[in-house]
Amino acid sequence: MTEPRKPLPRPAPESLPYWEAAAQHRLDMPHCQACDGFWFPPSRTCPHCTSADVDMKTVSGRGKVFSFVIYDRVYHPAFATEVPYAVALVELEEGPRLISNIVGIPAEQVRCDMPVAVVFDDVAENVSVPKFKPL
Amino acid sequence: MEMIEASRDLRDTCAIVGIGNSRLGKVPGVSSLDLIVEAMRNALDDAGLKASDVDGILCRGPDDVYSHHQMVGERLGINAKFSTTVTNGGASQILSVALAVMAIRHGLATTVICGYGRDAWSRTHANEEARVRNETRPPSQLPREFGPEYGYYSAAATHAFGATRHMHLYGTTKDHFGQIAVAFREHALRNPQAQMKKPLTLEEYHAQRSIVRPFGLYDCSLRSDAAGAVIVTSRARAKDLRQPPVVIKGFGTHNNTRGWFADDNMVTTAAKQSGERAYAMAGVGPRDVDTAQIYDCFTYMVLTQLEDYGFCKKGEGGDFVASGALRMDGALPTNTSGGQLSEAHAEGMLQLVEGARQMRHTYAADRQVRDAEIALVSGHGGNQVCHSTLILGRA
Repeated sequence: MTEPRKPLPRPAPESLPYWEAAAQHRLDMPHCQACDGFWFPPSRTCPHCTSADVDMKTVSGRGKVFSFVIYDRVYHPAFATEVPYAVALVELEEGPRLISNIVGIPAEQVRCDMPVAVVFDDVAENVSVPKFKPL
Repeated sequence: MEMIEASRDLRDTCAIVGIGNSRLGKVPGVSSLDLIVEAMRNALDDAGLKASDVDGILCRGPDDVYSHHQMVGERLGINAKFSTTVTNGGASQILSVALAVMAIRHGLATTVICGYGRDAWSRTHANEEARVRNETRPPSQLPREFGPEYGYYSAAATHAFGATRHMHLYGTTKDHFGQIAVAFREHALRNPQAQMKKPLTLEEYHAQRSIVRPFGLYDCSLRSDAAGAVIVTSRARAKDLRQPPVVIKGFGTHNNTRGWFADDNMVTTAAKQSGERAYAMAGVGPRDVDTAQIYDCFTYMVLTQLEDYGFCKKGEGGDFVASGALRMDGALPTNTSGGQLSEAHAEGMLQLVEGARQMRHTYAADRQVRDAEIALVSGHGGNQVCHSTLILGRA
């Protein structure tokens, strides 16, 4: 029997550039050329100034844990060997907040406002998932 | 820009004249539509009205029921001057009452039935497939990215982010959440219709199994087959009806549509602005509220909304609930039917039903909030950011 695999992201059309950058181990965020703002998840109108002059820009990959939760219970069989694991809302230095996992430390040691930096988990061919480890 | 204040001319103009609920809890073999119509029939009987007296329908059911209000009208056998399905999640039910008042005041309808029904227990327990899937949302609503790849599932987790942040900022503890679960269970034991029948101690609360930390089983609301309904009409029409009218004093809404994860929204919720608008319309403040029926999808949401409504300061919700304030003999008897944590979960509709019933003073002494003149009801939902507040009073 093959091991159950974690769900792969099924990108919306506007998310494809984000996932293509991640596959190359770059954290790119939607960015506004008019107001220099960042946001997440990707969309094609800047939510700060409603400009359509938007692109993707590579960010520092550094941020902090805004909040987090810990799963003890298995909601998907592929996570059976990972519990307990932490899912965090990471706030990047550039402003956007995104859901991710905190890796490299036990889930119990994750704290709010803990500084973290991005790492990439190669989960399938041409698919890498951004995760974060403590700085 | 012109400042538009909450419409005080809507204060005390309409009333709830009929109140009903369906069987609650585990009602296998009955669809959500039949449950809501059961609740509506009970509300009509309570009011002494016939379905043909109703000319407005504002309702909500499971998200995969298309044009829900039409299906309700078909089952009641009526056409409607004014009807729609409201899709602000758990904030919809109070919003329905607000829309009913506005429709009645502007002549679009005279008598509006509002309700919500779901079959969430049957959907998640009716057979083995349902038990494994354990999902009440239609597949089209499940996230495709930025969630499943991280093992991020369930509304419990989304709200738990707020709980973690609140604990970090203010020192709120699991003991505080437990006080809420225990108080509401005690209320449910006084309610023969409640889904939960056994007492819950703080020790049992702490021994619960984890759902997603910091939440355990008793921090989470119930999966229920449940429906509720109320009938709204003008104060003038209410005079001729069977029941003493429950006056709609005020309402307010606010939706943090930038998102639950944006700004400070998971810690200071839209209950703040929604409540301020409702207080302004009603001409009352938090000190005037005798009983609160707070949207309790999770224990934490009660604590933070109590702060946002001004019953205590932001960050002091833990001390407030630990003082025993929420109990029947406390400073603010809250979720006096047991709430969604212990009575049944019908997306806030049963909080509305309970708030209205408390204003009638027809309960036995052990369930009646003594001398209650003002009830505050809250609704929360719609990706965690939609909020509505209703303030009810005695005629």
